[in-house]
Amino acid sequence: MPKTYLDSGVLNSVRKFEWVLCLDGIILAVAGIVLIYSAAIPMGGVGRSFVIKQTAWLSLGIVLLILFSFIDYRILERWGLWIYLFILVALISVSIFGRVTAGSRRWIDLGLMRFQPSEFAKLTVVIVLAKSLGDRRRGPLTDWVEIFRNLGLVIVPVVFVATQPDLGTAIVLFLVAISMMMFVGLAKRIWTTILGLTLVSFPLTYFGGKYLLLDYQKRRLMTFLNPDLDPLGAGYQIIQSQIAVGSGGLLGKGFLKGTQNQLMFLPAKHTDFIFAVLSEEWGFVGCMTILALLMAFMLRGLAIAGRARDDFGTMLSVGCISIIFWHVAINVAMVMGVVPVVGVPLSFVSYGGSSLLSSFLVTAILTSVSSRRFSR
Amino acid sequence: MAQLRSNLVPQDYYKSRVMIFSSIIWIVMAILLIRLWSLQLIMGESFDDMAIENRIRLLRLPPPRGAILDRNGKALAENRPSFTLSIVPGNIKGGREIIETYSDVLGFSPEKMRSVIEKSLLAPRFMSFPIKKNISLEEVSLIKAHSHDLKGVSLDARPYRHYPFCDLLCHIIGVTGEISGPELEKVGRVGYRPGDYVGKTGIEREYETYLRGEEGWEQIEIDAKGRHLASLTRKPAKSGADIVLTIDASFQKFVEDTFTERAGSVVVVDPDTGRVLAMVSKPGYDPNLFSPSISELNWKSLNSDPLHPLENRSIRGLYPPASTFKIVTALAGLSERVITPERNVFCSGEMELGGQVYRCWKQHGHGPVNLHRAIVESCDVYFYELGLKLGADRMAKYASLFGLGKPTGLELSQELPGLIPTNFWKERNYGTFVKDGENVTIGIGQGYTLTTPIQLAMMTAALDNGGNVMRPYLVEEIRSRDGSAIFRQTPVVRWKIKPDPNNWSLIRKAMRGVVEDKSGTGRKCRVPGLSVYAKTGTSQVISAREKIKSDDDIPYHERTHAMFVAFVDDQPKKMAVVVVIEHGGGGGKTAAPLARKIICRYYGLPDPGDPRE
Repeated sequence: MPKTYLDSGVLNSVRKFEWVLCLDGIILAVAGIVLIYSAAIPMGGVGRSFVIKQTAWLSLGIVLLILFSFIDYRILERWGLWIYLFILVALISVSIFGRVTAGSRRWIDLGLMRFQPSEFAKLTVVIVLAKSLGDRRRGPLTDWVEIFRNLGLVIVPVVFVATQPDLGTAIVLFLVAISMMMFVGLAKRIWTTILGLTLVSFPLTYFGGKYLLLDYQKRRLMTFLNPDLDPLGAGYQIIQSQIAVGSGGLLGKGFLKGTQNQLMFLPAKHTDFIFAVLSEEWGFVGCMTILALLMAFMLRGLAIAGRARDDFGTMLSVGCISIIFWHVAINVAMVMGVVPVVGVPLSFVSYGGSSLLSSFLVTAILTSVSSRRFSR
Repeated sequence: MAQLRSNLVPQDYYKSRVMIFSSIIWIVMAILLIRLWSLQLIMGESFDDMAIENRIRLLRLPPPRGAILDRNGKALAENRPSFTLSIVPGNIKGGREIIETYSDVLGFSPEKMRSVIEKSLLAPRFMSFPIKKNISLEEVSLIKAHSHDLKGVSLDARPYRHYPFCDLLCHIIGVTGEISGPELEKVGRVGYRPGDYVGKTGIEREYETYLRGEEGWEQIEIDAKGRHLASLTRKPAKSGADIVLTIDASFQKFVEDTFTERAGSVVVVDPDTGRVLAMVSKPGYDPNLFSPSISELNWKSLNSDPLHPLENRSIRGLYPPASTFKIVTALAGLSERVITPERNVFCSGEMELGGQVYRCWKQHGHGPVNLHRAIVESCDVYFYELGLKLGADRMAKYASLFGLGKPTGLELSQELPGLIPTNFWKERNYGTFVKDGENVTIGIGQGYTLTTPIQLAMMTAALDNGGNVMRPYLVEEIRSRDGSAIFRQTPVVRWKIKPDPNNWSLIRKAMRGVVEDKSGTGRKCRVPGLSVYAKTGTSQVISAREKIKSDDDIPYHERTHAMFVAFVDDQPKKMAVVVVIEHGGGGGKTAAPLARKIICRYYGLPDPGDPRE
């Protein structure tokens, strides 16, 4: 008899609903809309549509969050492979039929909305890896074959995403996979080998980077190392973004009063550089608040991971948290000029339907894992 | 299997791993916060400055240049808009259309147009890049008809200098031009920048500080694309002051039109004040050619013209005063008691000195001449002898007393001093003293002696006003835009000649005779009803010719300069006039009638024409 996934857990779900996590996510998204509003004002008509769209996405996100929270996450264990294959097909079709925006193919136009499969590839990779890592005997990974089998699941989408080209997502995908495998643990033997390989691969990376990276990627790396090389070109983003962050000070310049933002000195300010808008207009205090909310989300998520009913649930949660973690870490570091500019949005906050929905799906999965920790 | 796994409560197994992951999150967040702290709270101020620098720009508001007016307020130099077609490379849409539309309108070939646009792409994206300056009004209307559908093309109006009377008074008004490197260095602190226009010559140059006005500025907020968003603070530009000249444009125009010869100068002054009433230097040029910038072709043709149209002959033309200098020699002779008015000198038509023959202009001589006749008939032999007796230094003393050989102090600084030879000067430059033969020629205003028309005019004025050597002036008033006078000229007596009144009246009487006497050389300047005093002069360009030919047989550049000085002593209106016609032949023959026409016009009298012999 097929088990229904809307089982007795429904009641449980309502009682044990992860209010904290969900509210945290929604607050972040609302804060994001406020920031997008501020960023959008000087952009005129296009800007207003950003705010409306993001609000629509948030509503959809909340609906999805409620819907998916009541579905047992274990359905993902069963359907994981199919979702994975679906996303692969989507990624392939993107590179064939996708729309070109800002020099890369990332979008599938579905008429009503555009859909960015690479955002969902992250979640998918987390699901298949969670299944793969959860469905084994506990203990550190000792077997190279096992490691490569798991890595293989990531490498395929990474290659497709990287060729779009979307370096940011590819890096996040890879880092998420590594984080999940690290969470499971690696045998000492493996550690030493990796360490050795890393030392050897430094020169290889250098030459590899020289010949494999695309021109704009190389330029970004170079200008990251020295932004003043090209203050009006590739270094522009880094410099302007740092000016925005730095000039915010303790309390910020105030809502709608950030000159870097309002006068359009900030590039991509409603998407990848939304944190710069936050820093400029709300200052250190505002940044602390948003970072604290994000951190609370991650720590809460980790707690859920630790209490999950089964290994799949734990690994799923860990993967979800990794996604958020890497997005936040890379995005914030990038805005402050600590790491090179790679296109990584700030989860929940940045403008972008796919990004926001995937953040809410993460929340939904964590909620689902949390509410079913005692159910069978 | 699944059952078994779920029974093993995962919490404990994963506890340490969750702990590790949590600490990693804490550590990474801490690092990010430290960075944030250092950016916002430690380096915050410098980033603040950078943010301000990013958005605030100082815009210069150039002041409208003052006008130059004639004494009745007629504009001689004013501002007109000049149109410049520019493109803003960052806004260009449809480069091909721009090429197609404008190459036709502007008369550029499509290739040239394309190369211009390509060049513009190297300029800052949102700065306007000029394609063509000085667009004519016809082209402006053509461009306006086309520009509505073309983005990134703008038509800017900038003021340029317009001279409504074209070449009238061109040497006095002068021209403006883009400031040059050396000028910029010299006046750098006054706030000029490359590309600014400054007066280059004439009044435009001398009164630059008044004409220019005060630059204003506007602090504006711009966005990342350099677009003007809002004005923050603004100090409006103060327009320059107007310069009112002493000259009446219609009188000046009459004088210029009357002067039909190829080259020369006319200066008319008011003897009592030194006010310049007309100042002509021919040939002239059209100062509009220089505005806003002169084409290479025009510049070359003006510069290489053998008649030097750019020179202001009234203050820079160096002419031997010739017989007009006899007034000085005569006064020197009387004052130094070398001669008495009654003493006669026999003129045989030539004088021999040291084996050299010095001829009188009258081939067969004047016979016995006294001072009065010597001046009236301009006998050379009389003044050869007087010059020889006086010597260069004593003649120079009286020449200097009349202001010859020194700048007169007119507002135009390019004035040349001329030269009055002295023993000291001769010794310093040639190592010997002035020789007797040279004293002879100095006596009739030839030899080394060089004067400018304005100097002769001031000398003539002094003869009229009783010995006051006036400083001539061109600027009557400087008027600020609101109409109030910033400066009003007052006549300046540089010094007084205090001659013996008898000598003085003798000379004046002789000058009157030049016009009135039957044998006077300046009879052609006779105006019935006016007391005109005059002296003619005919200055030799090359040393004495053997045969006397008629003027038409002599090549232009070997012909004598016609000189004529005159003053009218009628109250209340007085005038002093100097006419110099380069290579115009005899002063009494060509220059005197010209002076007569000017005098008649000044007094509103009909021209009586040349007197019948």
